[in-house]
Amino acid sequence: MSSIAIPHTASPTPRRGLSTWQVWGLLLLAPYVLVFLVFVLYPVSYGLWLARNPESYRTLFEDPVFFTSVLNTIFFLLVAVNLKFVLALYLSGFFVHERRWIRWLSVIFIIPWAVPAIPTIFSIRFMLNPEWGVINSLLFRWFQIDGPNWLTNPQLAMAMAMLVHIWKALPFWTLILMAGRLAIPKELYEAASVDGATAWQKFKYVTWPSMRTLYITSTLLSLIWTLGDFNSVYLLTGGQPADKTHVLATLGIRYIRLDQLDHAMATIVVALPFVLPLVYFMMKRLSGDEQKTSQ
Amino acid sequence: MTNRKLLSEAKLWLVAIPVLLWTLIPIYHIFLFSISTKDSAFSGRLWPEHPTLHNFVTVFKQEHFYLHHFWSQIWNSLWIAVATGVITLTVATCAAFAISRLKVKGGRTVMNAALFTYFIPAAFLAVPMYKAMGTYGLLNSRWSLVLAMVTLASPYAIWVLKQASDKLPWELDEAARIDGATPAQLFRLVYLPLMVPSLVAIFTYALLLAWNEYLYAFLLLSHENTIPLAVGLGHFLASDDSPWEILMATALIYGLPPAAIYYAFRGYMVGGLTSGAVKA
Amino acid sequence: MASVSFSGIEKSFGSTKVLHGISLDIADGEFMVLVGPSGCGKSTLLRMLAGLEDIGAGEIAIDGRAVNDLDSKDRDIAMVFQSYALYPHMTVRDNMGFSLKLRKDNRKKIAEGVSRAAKILNLDPYLDRYPRELSGGQRQRVAMGRAIVRDPKVFLFDEPLSNLDAKLRVAMRAEIKALHQRLKTTTVYVTHDQIEAMTMADRIAVMNEGRIEQLGEPLELYDRPANRFVAQFIGSPAMNVFEGVYSQGMVQALGAYWPCEVKAQEGQRVAYGIRPEHLSLQEGGITAQIEVVEPMGAETETLVKVGGQNLTMMTHGRSSVGPGERVFLAPQPAQVHLFDAASGRRIG
Repeated sequence: MSSIAIPHTASPTPRRGLSTWQVWGLLLLAPYVLVFLVFVLYPVSYGLWLARNPESYRTLFEDPVFFTSVLNTIFFLLVAVNLKFVLALYLSGFFVHERRWIRWLSVIFIIPWAVPAIPTIFSIRFMLNPEWGVINSLLFRWFQIDGPNWLTNPQLAMAMAMLVHIWKALPFWTLILMAGRLAIPKELYEAASVDGATAWQKFKYVTWPSMRTLYITSTLLSLIWTLGDFNSVYLLTGGQPADKTHVLATLGIRYIRLDQLDHAMATIVVALPFVLPLVYFMMKRLSGDEQKTSQ
Repeated sequence: MTNRKLLSEAKLWLVAIPVLLWTLIPIYHIFLFSISTKDSAFSGRLWPEHPTLHNFVTVFKQEHFYLHHFWSQIWNSLWIAVATGVITLTVATCAAFAISRLKVKGGRTVMNAALFTYFIPAAFLAVPMYKAMGTYGLLNSRWSLVLAMVTLASPYAIWVLKQASDKLPWELDEAARIDGATPAQLFRLVYLPLMVPSLVAIFTYALLLAWNEYLYAFLLLSHENTIPLAVGLGHFLASDDSPWEILMATALIYGLPPAAIYYAFRGYMVGGLTSGAVKA
Repeated sequence: MASVSFSGIEKSFGSTKVLHGISLDIADGEFMVLVGPSGCGKSTLLRMLAGLEDIGAGEIAIDGRAVNDLDSKDRDIAMVFQSYALYPHMTVRDNMGFSLKLRKDNRKKIAEGVSRAAKILNLDPYLDRYPRELSGGQRQRVAMGRAIVRDPKVFLFDEPLSNLDAKLRVAMRAEIKALHQRLKTTTVYVTHDQIEAMTMADRIAVMNEGRIEQLGEPLELYDRPANRFVAQFIGSPAMNVFEGVYSQGMVQALGAYWPCEVKAQEGQRVAYGIRPEHLSLQEGGITAQIEVVEPMGAETETLVKVGGQNLTMMTHGRSSVGPGERVFLAPQPAQVHLFDAASGRRIG
């Protein structure tokens, strides 16, 4: 029989029966369990029950707004998330340089993420106003061009919404990827230098292999969250013009406004087949890491 | 500096300047509008002819239709944010202690349930939450937003606190038990003091989450007395000829506290964020 | 001060059995060392005594009273952990007084208790410092101080010196031993280092794979190991053991004939054990070749090769031979240990 190494920092085996400690455990866990039951489990169950009527889905699929929203959402996810992550990957490499001014810059860089959405997205909205917005005014004043209708052309408006999303979300993910970069031991880079690697080769053979998992996991998580990004579209365009710039997140709310709760829930349910597998995957990842680090 | 160093510094600057501009332009724009008069705001200038603080005066004196309830709105925002922070902190600290130190039965299940809530996009939960709050009769009470925010903030909070707590050596608990500590004494005298940095980070996180929230705020609160500043700002969009410069002044006031708090606690926040969200 | 007894203790983690019916009696005031390789179950046994692990089967009694169902805090024990487990946010004074504070003793009593322990361990200058400001040795003393303050019936030590460097370990060994002589509290001490066991214990229990291989006083274990495992575990450098066949008063092994006084059965396969200090070089004997000479100053450790196997030899003073030389080995027949090759049990 091989010897078993019983780790010194292993947790104590759970005590038998309902000792004081177990009782306390249950008591302290209760508040959150209560919150979860009352404000997650019940609402979600009720919501799903509201979405049980197949009629809702038929009406939904016949609504042209729904289809535009789905297309917009898909496009939004594909472009915005990937662009954001490529930028985050690049900038994470920039921000790890050890200079005082870069550290200051990183503090400033986080501002879009830290401040509330309304002031900033409204600000961008006004900058993009075709008549009196700063962008078009400057375009005219400096280059004599009549700037386009940023927010009334549906394609341009969607593009702007994506830019807004990236503006707001980029700092957070850059931070995450920075942490990933900092976890790579410097000696690997030094060894690569000695071996004669160029900057690109260092990235390809040292940085990327170490960062790949984090990058992919983060991208998947960001896909889920971007799917739920209500602010970027709503505060910039409100879904207009003519409901052509809705995404699934704003569409759901639109139906609430129209007092069509079952349609609102149906919209969300339609997105679930995409969201749930991703959520399941993310949870497995995090629990899996848990198991590994607690050994 | 050698040529090589100069070149690499220049490359860094080449990246830094666009990043700086990209980050700050919308922020600067808020500031620009807030100190402009109505006319110069719309002239598309980069700096107003006659910079003025009059807009702020208008805001503080509630001298406009949309601003009549400014002070009560800001008070609501504050009240909701602090309540969310306190309640989230309490709920999450207790839950994390139970799961991490007491190894309570069912702890993993609860942790998974919490993670599930964390990953599901908040906008999706909004619709059922709205309906549920109606059923509970909480619509238009500030508590509805507080509890909704607590629900959204707790999972991440519990996760971060659990991670931090797992790093504390087991022997401390064992030593305390042998010393004769009851669970309450362990919690109060050993656990809490050692978790202070994480507690600060979580409180700040929940506070900012609630202060910055828009969607849930406008779904759950519509009564003039209860709406927070975020919703009040949204009202400005109702008509086309709203005083945008006053809106921006209000928005600046609204945006300052989070920026200031973030700056003050940035050390705690960055640590908490990167350890909590995704593992490398 | 109290006696401790383990009766038929069994324990499994999942499907793996880690303790197979351990029975052990520790007398009042005794310094008992549990020693063995990692995974042998010694820490588990200690933790069960402390109340930190559930007992699978059997009974543990302190001072004649069964403590199976008692919580740690009600067993009147104190424990010193390998990693000291000092509360990082409390000063040394508060660390040491913590258990009294939990009992809600008044401030005077706490101060007295702390000051008494501090004097014994020379911790007075450090009372207001924090653990992070102390060295490893100082932290270990604080951990011991915390244990002393409680004036418990039994002291438990869980590999307390493993995290210290060699020199400090030697100094702390002496301190712990002196402490025991002064306080005379029953002590159960777990270590994987047999030197600690030999120098500190009144009695040693050598454990391996969940069983006690031998229980006895240090020198008894050294001079008469009950089996091959104990023979090779106790003593540093380890005893030389190799297999051969017993025939007519000698053991045929490694291509030579080895003398011994112990009598075994004719033709029995045996393991021949001889400690390094009982081997010496003579004019004639068993041929061997010097491999490595390690002069340690007062003694010399020499590696010799016999019949393809390396043996260790320990001699006083300096060596006059060098690597590669051919020499003759002479073991002291009275000091030879024989073990049955199959069971490992001692013969004679």
